[in-house]
Amino acid sequence: MKIKFLELTNTSARFVLSDATPAEANALRRTLLSEIPKLAIDKVEILLGNIRDESGKEYESVTPLFDEIIVHRLAMVPLPTDLSMKFPSECGCKGEGCQSCSVIYTINKKGPGMVYSGDLIPLGDPKFKPVDDLIPIVKINEKQAVLLYATAIMGRAKEHAKWQVAHAVGYKYYPDVKINGEKCTGCTECINSCPKKVFENQDGKVVAKTVDACDLCGACVEACPKGALSVTGSEKDFIFTFETDGSLSAKAALIKALDILSTSFGRVKDTLSMLG
Amino acid sequence: MIIPVRCFTCGKVIGSYYEVFKRRVEGGEKPGEVLDSLGLKRYCCRRMLLTHADLIDDIAKFD
Repeated sequence: MKIKFLELTNTSARFVLSDATPAEANALRRTLLSEIPKLAIDKVEILLGNIRDESGKEYESVTPLFDEIIVHRLAMVPLPTDLSMKFPSECGCKGEGCQSCSVIYTINKKGPGMVYSGDLIPLGDPKFKPVDDLIPIVKINEKQAVLLYATAIMGRAKEHAKWQVAHAVGYKYYPDVKINGEKCTGCTECINSCPKKVFENQDGKVVAKTVDACDLCGACVEACPKGALSVTGSEKDFIFTFETDGSLSAKAALIKALDILSTSFGRVKDTLSMLG
Repeated sequence: MIIPVRCFTCGKVIGSYYEVFKRRVEGGEKPGEVLDSLGLKRYCCRRMLLTHADLIDDIAKFD
């Protein structure tokens, strides 16, 4: 399996996966979607009753949204993830909550105004500040305030989508667009029919310029009056794309996914060898 | 109600784009062009902003 990057930004990646099988490409897709550990808010304690500020002004703890909705919205906020952190069940504290398996956040905001994800303040290391500061959580009026404590733990997307690092994960077979030079008359029907603008006219000759963009739809094959075109997909090479929510960089997510894959394949191999 | 944090279909965080989107569209820009410049390229994410009915202010009155 070989990987060659076509595009790589902090939160997205597009690469060619070559020397692989469809099963391997799909294993990578599924691992990216559901196996990478990530930090997300799991438990929230919301203070009920009146909240008093320094000047003695009183605020109510009610908001226009139900507490459950606020908690769900907080859980969906991407938090920067340190992959060296442990799952609570595997941690030395036995799930009670300690620095190596959980991060505690607080929101203390008085109305009027919008409560944003940026109002989530980590108690402890400031590196856990939410990736995106501008996600609206709830809007409160001048008589309302929000005071809460939230605990974030590591988890996997298998259990809940809030622990999903990568989204829009997909791949396609690497396109092979062949133009038969003898049959082609340069009528440019294929150029007009292609929705992805793969073809280009170069001095009366049609050439496939951006093959990467081809979706194997076959519109050009149908449009060609001379039958000079053929479009097929390679079953050994794939164009793979995915994005992350920012909790991990695209590169870190891919490295972790490949790491998880090789560990689980290693486990299968060990079990098989024990059977003899 | 209030803009969802993530796209229902793909899971991309779209909540943080809403206020920018609203401000720019009210300023006279074309919604499609604003979505393009925000980098929302899939139609699942685009409909999240385009079809959102922001009712939080109407509900806040009754608290």
